[in-house]
Amino acid sequence: MALSGIQIYKLLPQTNCKECGFPTCLAFAMKLAAKQVELGACPYVSEESKKQLAESAAPPIRLVTLKADGNEVKVGNEVVMYRHEKTFYNKPGLFLRVKASDPDLAKKVTQADAYKVNYVGMDFSLNGYAIEADGDLTAAVKTVREVTKRPLILISNDAAALDSSLSLLAGETALIYAASESNYESLAEVAKKHKAVLAVKADTLDALADLTQKIQTKGVEDMVLDLGGKNLGDWLMRSTQVRRLALKNFRPLGYPVIFFAAQNGVEKEAVYAAQAIAKYAGFVVIDTFAPEMIYPLLVLRENLYTDPQKPIQVQPGVYEINSPKPESPVLVTTNFSITYFAVANEVEGSGLPAWLVVTDAEGMSVLTAWAAGKFDAERIAKAIKGFNVADKVSKKRLVLPGHVAVLSGEVEEELPGWEVRVGPREAVDLPAFMKQALN
Amino acid sequence: MNHSLTFTHDEKQASVTVPTNTLLADAARLAGIDIGQPCGGQGRCGRCAVQVTEGQVRRRSTLRLSEADVAQGYALACQTVVEGDAAIYVPPQEKIERRLTTDRVVAEVTVPEDYEYPFSQTVRRVHLTLTPPSMDDQTDDWARLQTAFRLQRRFETVTCSLPLLRTIGSTLRAGDWNVTAIVEISRPSDHQTIRLIDLRPGHEDEYSPLWGAAIDIGTTTVTLWLVDLVTGQVKAQVAEYNGQIARGEDVISRIIYASKNGGADELRQRVLDTINELLERACKRVKLPQGKVTPDQIVKATIAGNTTMMHLFLGIPAASIRLSPFIPAVNHPPALTGREVGLNVNPEAAVDCLPGVASYVGADITAGVLSSGLDSAENVTLFLDVGTNGETVLGNRDWLVTCACSAGPAFEGAGVVNGMRATTGAIEEVWINSDTLEPTYRVIGGGKPKGICGSGLIALLSEAFLTGVIDKGGNVKLDAPSPRVREGAHGGEYVVAWGKETESGEDIVLTRVDIDNLLRAKAAIYAGFTVLAENVGIPLESVDKVLVGGSFGKYINVEKAVQIGLLPDMEWSRFEFLGNTSVKGAYLALLDWRKRERISEIAKRMTYIELSADNSFYEAFTSALFLPHTDLNKFPSVAEALEKSNS
Amino acid sequence: MPIEIPKDKWPGSIRTVTIGATSAEGGTRAKTVTVGGGTTMPYLHFEAPTPNKPAIAIEIKSRKPEDWSPLLAEVWGAAMADPAQWAKKAEEAGADLLVLALTVEDSPEDAVKAVKSVLGATGLPLIVWGPGQAEKDNELLVAVAEAAKGERLVLGICEDKNYRTIVATAMANGHLVQARAPMDVNLSKQLNILISDMGMPKDRILMDPTTGALGYGMEYGYSVMERLRLAALQGDAMTQFPMIVTPGFEAWKTKEAKVGEGIPEAWGDWKARAIHWETLTALALVESGADIVVLRHPESVKRVKDAIGELVVA
Repeated sequence: MALSGIQIYKLLPQTNCKECGFPTCLAFAMKLAAKQVELGACPYVSEESKKQLAESAAPPIRLVTLKADGNEVKVGNEVVMYRHEKTFYNKPGLFLRVKASDPDLAKKVTQADAYKVNYVGMDFSLNGYAIEADGDLTAAVKTVREVTKRPLILISNDAAALDSSLSLLAGETALIYAASESNYESLAEVAKKHKAVLAVKADTLDALADLTQKIQTKGVEDMVLDLGGKNLGDWLMRSTQVRRLALKNFRPLGYPVIFFAAQNGVEKEAVYAAQAIAKYAGFVVIDTFAPEMIYPLLVLRENLYTDPQKPIQVQPGVYEINSPKPESPVLVTTNFSITYFAVANEVEGSGLPAWLVVTDAEGMSVLTAWAAGKFDAERIAKAIKGFNVADKVSKKRLVLPGHVAVLSGEVEEELPGWEVRVGPREAVDLPAFMKQALN
Repeated sequence: MNHSLTFTHDEKQASVTVPTNTLLADAARLAGIDIGQPCGGQGRCGRCAVQVTEGQVRRRSTLRLSEADVAQGYALACQTVVEGDAAIYVPPQEKIERRLTTDRVVAEVTVPEDYEYPFSQTVRRVHLTLTPPSMDDQTDDWARLQTAFRLQRRFETVTCSLPLLRTIGSTLRAGDWNVTAIVEISRPSDHQTIRLIDLRPGHEDEYSPLWGAAIDIGTTTVTLWLVDLVTGQVKAQVAEYNGQIARGEDVISRIIYASKNGGADELRQRVLDTINELLERACKRVKLPQGKVTPDQIVKATIAGNTTMMHLFLGIPAASIRLSPFIPAVNHPPALTGREVGLNVNPEAAVDCLPGVASYVGADITAGVLSSGLDSAENVTLFLDVGTNGETVLGNRDWLVTCACSAGPAFEGAGVVNGMRATTGAIEEVWINSDTLEPTYRVIGGGKPKGICGSGLIALLSEAFLTGVIDKGGNVKLDAPSPRVREGAHGGEYVVAWGKETESGEDIVLTRVDIDNLLRAKAAIYAGFTVLAENVGIPLESVDKVLVGGSFGKYINVEKAVQIGLLPDMEWSRFEFLGNTSVKGAYLALLDWRKRERISEIAKRMTYIELSADNSFYEAFTSALFLPHTDLNKFPSVAEALEKSNS
Repeated sequence: MPIEIPKDKWPGSIRTVTIGATSAEGGTRAKTVTVGGGTTMPYLHFEAPTPNKPAIAIEIKSRKPEDWSPLLAEVWGAAMADPAQWAKKAEEAGADLLVLALTVEDSPEDAVKAVKSVLGATGLPLIVWGPGQAEKDNELLVAVAEAAKGERLVLGICEDKNYRTIVATAMANGHLVQARAPMDVNLSKQLNILISDMGMPKDRILMDPTTGALGYGMEYGYSVMERLRLAALQGDAMTQFPMIVTPGFEAWKTKEAKVGEGIPEAWGDWKARAIHWETLTALALVESGADIVVLRHPESVKRVKDAIGELVVA
């Protein structure tokens, strides 16, 4: 159970010595509670307190890392059921399954490995490959490793084949799929030998928990769970149950989960993968290399794993409301979503056409952004110029929010040739303003 | 069954016979006495109180009466029914001055019991008798004075400014070598650093007043208390809007204005003008047999104010306050003099600017904590400063956390169309009749209304909400059946006073924009303390006392403040209203160096929490942007009141 | 070792809301659609079954929309010019109910005519949206509400600045309302309170939290919906309304769905991508608690329907 700031404070020396870099012990305690600082920063904390604090801080879901040459996939370490409660931390790895028997193996992986897509300034690609040992695994691993540097999942029950394959991957952390009741001893041995992560599979959660405990006694700590399940609903329940148990510190199931999206056919693959991304999977394995599917899945993953504590922002840019014409006015506001919605809805509702320029104010409302220096003449001018607003309009007429009337002079200086008007303070008064003042 | 009632009103008696369970109000009407019911007979306003001197009645509700009231026979005419013969006294309505149980009145200022001049005081009057110089003793005047200090007072080192030094010779001679020195002792326990503030010819009466000023520079309102440092008594209390308002209503606008060419100088001058004007005004209020008091007789001033106000007052660049990571230039200003800061007090007067904690928690709050006693409270206590910056402190003697949120000046009567400060002519209390939607109001000073002050705005918002003039979102219901509800320039509005009743002849109204400002102000404050409590993991219910500070005037009606969702829904007895805690803290620090040191201690101990660090504040704010709150479960008493007014 | 699965016991539940009225109930619909009633977070059958599966609505318009993606124009063809035809095709595509979106060009008479023709063409329950401008919405929806009295239509869209007229006419004529707030738990709740305070029966309100599309802020809508659902289960009466969401509208205005030319190669095949965009947006919203999803493309309808089928019977 996480401790509150005050509870932690009571375990600290309460001397306000400032050596931790915070002005008071309470300030430090609250940072500890928010997990934004390490306890080690306090030089005077007692051993007893250290012990108590460490217990409350252990992650309920084990952090598992797959590694290859310079590429890493970290999953686990999650602390909540719902992202709004805190955030989802480690994005599930998206892996493409390939077959050892495939004569085009090298070509396929090469093509997939080159895949890169840009989403709001970030480049995304696949995280690695799952090689299914329907042929010579060792040869396939060799082939694949020649064309990609991303982490691998090896799908095989053959301990010897796994052993020799993993020998080719020295210095890496790969994932072995999957240990079951019948083969766990030999696979655990291989995993231990090569410091690989071991996926564990059983039909029921009871059996799964038993198995992870047995494997742990064999000296394997890093595990991943395959929960089984016959369809979307079944898997959703299992995944929810495992996350819940883990968060209640049930250690035998405190591991990330792996999910094969094409298990009920490739026509369902996108939907299956999407649910797995939303509902707690740590690794999602797909069978189809299709950019039109991978792109939306990567975007979904990015969306759900953004920090919900950050203010809601809309994309800065020029928004067209009610099909504006060159003579329509240009309204300026910030990219805080509620501000944007308030303005856009009022104008939209009025039926009056306008260009709405949304500036990058780091997601703050007009007043807050202005207060923090994120919505000033310079930034407004930069947006108008950067979005080439002048090219869209015949009448260079700019309306500032009433709350920043004080900026009008400076904006005029920054934007020669523009007529700067001060609009109302509240969005609700915009339609009236547009009808009266702008005609 | 019928009962006979005798009413005594306006020195006349009237009798009437009515059946059991007749309301006293109805019975009185039958007897020809109209008892005013501002709320429309809802038991909400408590203004129809009558005294049952004999006989049996049944009080359906005593919510508005204290136990003492009931013991004296008071009953609400609209909530009390007849059960037997009775004699009832109806007090003159206009003379009902008794406060309601929900009113929290700020206590009179009393001199702290432990104040002992000169021991508690850093500034004191010292009589010196110097040996006149002679041909044999050619010691210079200054050395002669220093010697007298050393021999007669054991003051080893005394410092003196050049302008004062220039006057020493003439003063010594004018007093024929008998002088009264006003000195500042940096620490009374330690006689090493003594500064000469003034030298006056002759020996002044030891116990004649020695003048000091406690000043709170608020973003919206500047408050000044003129204090006799000898007795410790407050001799005058004055307040005025801060002259800087013309250059922006909130601290951010001021900071930005100050960073413009000449802006800082202008703002500094504006607040100096306000304070200097207040000094004049306060001095004029004091009538003494010895003659007039003038500001230049003030030898010590202690100043509280938020960090921005302090920077602007001192002419220190404030720009970094508003920009992340929000670092002020100075939290603990050094000891200064009247001349340095530009106040029209004695140029050598000790000017003590109290220490702050952070950019958005300044000396007004450290002073407020001192005066509220929060720093020595045993149980967890919440201190709210309902002002423009909405600071909150939570804690007890073990720990203190604080935050600030921009509430805006609405509760100080600024930024509201007909808002004003809590002075003569301000509507300070309003009731709206549920049936007719007609208001009844009380004006400070009793004359024609000029506007509405903070407490009046709280009452008005609460009444408008409970009587359905506005919906929970603050929208004026234009279909409400009253000519007072109308479409104004900024959307719907409610007319509190028609032009014919008001000082200016113009209608006094509450507009949609005013309501929005009030909602934002109350939501910011409510969100501030809820998020603060959540941050440290203290449930609000476990807060023992809620101390409310703010410039409402003499009182705040906590029930109405709860009804609009400004204050948390707790028993009224857990609230205390302290008035302007900042100036009170400055006053305590002005008097007593030990209290002054406690403020420094408080500043060191307080942990400041930046609310903008995540969006939990925003969440709490939007949920509070509703009447009383989006989550009505947090306001059970309001839910009950609504239930009642709907039935 | 048998594990005890932790189960949540919630004091509250989602209200059950029925849209449309058969002739026996004072309307003319061949069937009605009932949604809501959930007592757990979505589809956790180990706690309780899902009493009513989410319904799929297809959005059609009173006039042929000129700004819709060519992919939609291609699949609906000439029917788009005739609401009755379009309604029939939508029913064939598997819609449980229909959304008819009116336009600013419509007069009250046009609106009534369009609604009547759609009601005549299919037996499905109907949701009617105004064009989204306060005055026009009020004018058209009042006319529609009166003309279709007793049909238990859903009238939309109520927003905090414009709800009183729509709610009043819905109350007077036996319809439901759709209450939309911009991606914020509190604002949703506040609007629900304002509407309830007018006396609207609580089984005649649907809430629309506004969601955004995949890649365009959908995660906020997703979390707002989870929070609304949690609040409802915790017993907050003002969040216990079934949720209606519009992934069709949201997804088809994104560049990813709408545009086929001049886009990065890494986006892949246009048509397949557009349908993924709509489907995945819808699926995510279904997982977070949507009770009615309004879609535009028949292929997305098929896939989402399939997914819902797997979710409701685990």
